[in-house]
Amino acid sequence: MRCPGAAIAALAAMPSLAAAAAQTFNTALPVGEGRYVLREQLVHRRAGGDPTGAERVSTAWSAVSVLGYGATPDLTVFAALPLVHKRLDVTTASGRRVERSAGGLGDARLFARYTAFRADAPGRTFRIAPFAGVEAPTGRDDAGDRLGRLPRPAQPGSGAWDGFGGVVATWQTLAYEIDVQAAYTANTGADGFAFGDVARLDGSVQYRVWPRELGGGVPGFLYGTLGANLIHREETTLAGRADARSGGTQLFLAPGLQYVTKRWVLEGAVQLPVAQELNAAGLADEVIARLGFRVTF
Amino acid sequence: MMAREARGRALALLVAVAVFAAPPAAADEVYRLEVAGLACPFCAYGIEKELAGLDGVAGVETEIEKGAVIVTTRDDARLDRETARAAVRAAGFTLDGFRHLGPSE
Repeated sequence: MRCPGAAIAALAAMPSLAAAAAQTFNTALPVGEGRYVLREQLVHRRAGGDPTGAERVSTAWSAVSVLGYGATPDLTVFAALPLVHKRLDVTTASGRRVERSAGGLGDARLFARYTAFRADAPGRTFRIAPFAGVEAPTGRDDAGDRLGRLPRPAQPGSGAWDGFGGVVATWQTLAYEIDVQAAYTANTGADGFAFGDVARLDGSVQYRVWPRELGGGVPGFLYGTLGANLIHREETTLAGRADARSGGTQLFLAPGLQYVTKRWVLEGAVQLPVAQELNAAGLADEVIARLGFRVTF
Repeated sequence: MMAREARGRALALLVAVAVFAAPPAAADEVYRLEVAGLACPFCAYGIEKELAGLDGVAGVETEIEKGAVIVTTRDDARLDRETARAAVRAAGFTLDGFRHLGPSE
């Protein structure tokens, strides 16, 4: 089984924020020196399709706060803190349907991006930035209920220190923006349990649909957005053995809208799985919905 | 009667001297900055904040379609190219042109 909450936090907390960046991963332009960007994103994820008699259905809500600070014109540091609520509905061996849930602080992320290449021209820019960070085990990994300790994927936190890194490229004009990101997360273990490593390739296109003609000043831009996410997860391991119910490869498409002004951004998208090659009895994602805003100060 | 007229003329003369001898009020100056890399509204805020934070800057307005930022300075304050370049760079962009347009109307 995969971990919806951890995956949500990972999806929502990668570097970016300062431009009309992609919604399903954070890329894009640096935060200006001495400036802050605060991003709040509410994410809902539902996974099901369990082929076993347990008929597991996993749902997760996550509210992720990300604060970015421009340390220099090229270096931006971020802190991301998720609040998560996870629920697992499962049919027991006795045939009874039970609900198990846990909530609270998830695992925090600290990371930085550095703009290594920048080519600015009138009305357009191209940038390449590597990024790296760590995920700290700030969320509980021992939550339980009357049935005992919850399965690890249903815990708010992973209990482990994890590292991630990658590179993002952005091509932005007044009419559209294209972002591409490659990222890898190396998950470590705790108490004999470890989520599998995650490799992902993300792309996003944003096209200005309004206003069609730019007048004077700085009007708000309404973008139509389309994201794509190719994600491969290794199997989780428990006591050194791989869990065959976990891991696999997924491809998502994410249509959405984004309204961008000088001070704030309002955005929403729905991630739809278009292909899923999952190991054994892994749960399949059904939908991931996102709603959020950003403000700079 | 003649003394009163003389005092009146002297007073008028003093006022005229005071008016014409005073230094002219300093005019606001206007500059046009061409900013490369400015490609979305969210980007404009950082540039405007950086420039507005400079000493003597009275106003900043962005024309995003033209990639131009109009800066107005107050009184005797002046803006030079290097100061503008550093402010635009701090915001994460590139100064592509700098023109002093003269006093504001």
